[in-house]
Amino acid sequence: MNKKIVRFLIYGMVTLLLFWILSIPVGPLPPLGPLMNPTTGFWANAETQPPSTKTVTLHSDELSEPVTVYFDRRHIPHIFARNDRDLFFAQGYITARDRLWQMEFQTRAAAGRLSEILGPRTLQFDRYRRRIGMVYAAEQALEGMMEDEESTRAIKAYTDGVNAWIEQLDPSQYPVEYKIMDYQPERWTPLKCALLFKNMTLTLASRNNDVRMSNTRAYFGDRFIDEILDIKPELNDPIIPPSRDWNFEPLDPQEPDGSFTPSMVTDIVEFPADPNNGSNNWAVGGSKTASGYPLLANDPHLGLSLPSIWYAVQLHAPSVNAMGVSLPGSPSVVIGFNEDIAWGTTNVSADVWDWYQIDFRDSTFSEYRFDGRWRKTRKRVEKIRVKGGETVVDTVVYTHHGPVVETDTDHFGGREIPRHHAVRWIAYAKSNEVRFFLKINRARNYDDYREALDYFHSPAQNWVFADSADIALTVTGRYPLKWDEQGRFISDGSDPRYDWQGWIPFDHIPFVKNPEREFVSSANQDPTDDSYPYYLDDDFAPYERGRRINDRLEAMNQITVDSMRQLQLDAFSYHASTTLPVMLKLLEADSLSESELQGYRDLADWNYFNSKEKIDPSLYHRWWDALYEAIWSDEYRSTDLPLAWPDRDQVAQLVMSETPLKWYDDIGTDREESLADLVLRSYRAAFRELEEEFGAYGRSWEWGRVNSTSIRHVAGLPGFGRSDLATDGGGESVNAIKRTHGPSWRMVVEAGPEMKGYGIYPGGQSGNPGSGRYADMIEDWNDGKLYPLYFMKDTPPDDSLSYTIKLK
Amino acid sequence: MLLILLIAAATWLLSLWLPWWSLALPCLVFGSMLGSGRKSSFLCGFLGVGSLWLIQTSYINWANDGILSARMAELFNMPFPLLTLLATVLIGSLLGGLSTLTGYMFNDAFLSRRISDK
Repeated sequence: MNKKIVRFLIYGMVTLLLFWILSIPVGPLPPLGPLMNPTTGFWANAETQPPSTKTVTLHSDELSEPVTVYFDRRHIPHIFARNDRDLFFAQGYITARDRLWQMEFQTRAAAGRLSEILGPRTLQFDRYRRRIGMVYAAEQALEGMMEDEESTRAIKAYTDGVNAWIEQLDPSQYPVEYKIMDYQPERWTPLKCALLFKNMTLTLASRNNDVRMSNTRAYFGDRFIDEILDIKPELNDPIIPPSRDWNFEPLDPQEPDGSFTPSMVTDIVEFPADPNNGSNNWAVGGSKTASGYPLLANDPHLGLSLPSIWYAVQLHAPSVNAMGVSLPGSPSVVIGFNEDIAWGTTNVSADVWDWYQIDFRDSTFSEYRFDGRWRKTRKRVEKIRVKGGETVVDTVVYTHHGPVVETDTDHFGGREIPRHHAVRWIAYAKSNEVRFFLKINRARNYDDYREALDYFHSPAQNWVFADSADIALTVTGRYPLKWDEQGRFISDGSDPRYDWQGWIPFDHIPFVKNPEREFVSSANQDPTDDSYPYYLDDDFAPYERGRRINDRLEAMNQITVDSMRQLQLDAFSYHASTTLPVMLKLLEADSLSESELQGYRDLADWNYFNSKEKIDPSLYHRWWDALYEAIWSDEYRSTDLPLAWPDRDQVAQLVMSETPLKWYDDIGTDREESLADLVLRSYRAAFRELEEEFGAYGRSWEWGRVNSTSIRHVAGLPGFGRSDLATDGGGESVNAIKRTHGPSWRMVVEAGPEMKGYGIYPGGQSGNPGSGRYADMIEDWNDGKLYPLYFMKDTPPDDSLSYTIKLK
Repeated sequence: MLLILLIAAATWLLSLWLPWWSLALPCLVFGSMLGSGRKSSFLCGFLGVGSLWLIQTSYINWANDGILSARMAELFNMPFPLLTLLATVLIGSLLGGLSTLTGYMFNDAFLSRRISDK
């Protein structure tokens, strides 16, 4: 053959090979040709000019009347529509425009479908979601939503809006994460709205300690639970003031005779969610404010992420005018205010997830013992498609309680579950939270608020309320009717008396309206004192934040928006103020080195504020953590069983009492240690630890650095989050920022004839990492600023805001 | 020089309508029509696509204040944001160079002989 032809063929092949390699994924890399080229690759996602005013013409059947969306300079859309359907269509369209990838990824994750796009590495993640019945739960929710006409219309309109946005997208305009992970957006569905809510329930209402508590009872005995885990700290200040009368006849669930002794469970149970996570809300009455009208404040705390979990929006139509933050993926405003009222939320960690030990007839899992006979199970086949692999088929066994999460020995890595145990979880109950949001967005007064609350079932929330006349707070949610401590330990799955025996009636749910003290507040602590006749849970958040808020609100008068803002930023540590004096007193200073002594002296002068520029909070926190370890780890680590550890405020109570306890003795040594011994030992250990990590005692130990905060990208892409923020606050402060968790939205609303709202969240309105508005609010959030929210009653002049999109 | 300009202009035009691999078309065609040697053909393609991608990405990066290139650099574990730009340009240059060279070789193997035969 001609030499030139051979040469041509060789060069042709090399060229073809290069094109081919650039069009397929290599190792962890996505196809580089599509990703890197300047016209359709990631470069196309780099925003090169600010968005400008434009008119979008949609298909003729999409909108019945034109919708105008005014964007203010924070890029917050103010959607003005002439009817509800158009309003929610536009909300879906505009939200997808800014947050499509996030909406889709989060609901995909919730449904256990990540392996479809990420391959085998997320298979266990997906299997776990299938096993706990996430899709089953979402199907129940969807059924609940579709039973109400108004909710159905809103969800369908929102869905149509999202899809209208997706359909007009050219692949070069796909959000950059699609390009990096090499997949395409799929159509939005109402089921995805339901998945979003169930994902919130998973995040906020899946906490359970049943296995740990059962093991602890078996290992340490009932007395230990009585003496340590049942400690109610004296400073506890419940959400509902103790003066409240319960003027109803409580329902009486049927209690079993003896207590059930479950078999020991050595696997680690999922979700002993961090009890120190925090959210705050409160409202103060007009007699305590400078304006004479109530003020409402709310800062819900969540895992911090980019894009942010929240999307700020104003929704305006003849029937509604509401502003605040929405959850991308759901119609209406979730936390916010309208022309008459304001509302906000914190989480109620009631026990709505219970494990039942199941006695199966045989290894086919088709029958289990219940109420003296064999009862049939149901089986649900889950198909998990895997990119670059075979579809995994998983059969999940359902009892009448709920799914059996683990039936074989193939454990979930770090997410190990007790085998042959069914879970009963609030998420499996039919509900329609969208209806609550639609109603609260339109509520005009206290009665409307109460009527709306009846539709909010899970995840249980302390919904706080204020309008120009009233303030109120309701510990809202659907709570199973339980006998005392039902579900605190593993339950007997064969005894009907361990089943959830109905629900606490809505009218019996704790709430408070216009209390004498002229304020209402919640910080995830116990909803009520012991006089409340129903059992909700034994373990709520430590008292410190709630106590601090109540102390401050009690003392404050002539309250303004700015003083509310300052309370949200309060970095005071109740925990340190109560325990540190005792620890310093017990510390034998003579045995300390020069620099240890310096730290000791500085701590004695500390004002107990977790300020980022201070060194004391770093030393104190490490010291407390080391002391906690020193007291408990010798006993707790003498077994491999997962056990329930005492809460921070319970141990603080013990330390403050200064009574000798056998738990202070280190069982690993011959001598008998006292609390003072542990205090000294843990002080030196903490000091050494900080020296190793941050160098010699000094500026490098600043709290802002030791407690540095990160905001993670939703899919954990490096470079797409924000790390190493130096922040004030700490787990036990009102400003409960702790490394990856913190105030995901801060809002203050002043009620009155003109409602005035202020808010900020650590993120940006745009979900596009290539936009200047992706993370533009983070610095101001960290500096404690609040932005005035531009709440409009009427359409503004066309050019008064940043830019406008007209949909027709 | 003409070849470089033609390749750059045509590659840009086609990229508005066709996927990224469409850059091969002008390179092959112009390379076979105007290529005047192996080295120079490769170089013209290399510079044609490379300079186009350099201009495009430099403009984008400037107008974007380097926001996205900084994030992408961290994603790919690159020490400097500008490396994302260089990597992009290098990919484009190589693709352009090889395609143009292939175009020239095609001409050299099948067309030029006939022309010289005449």
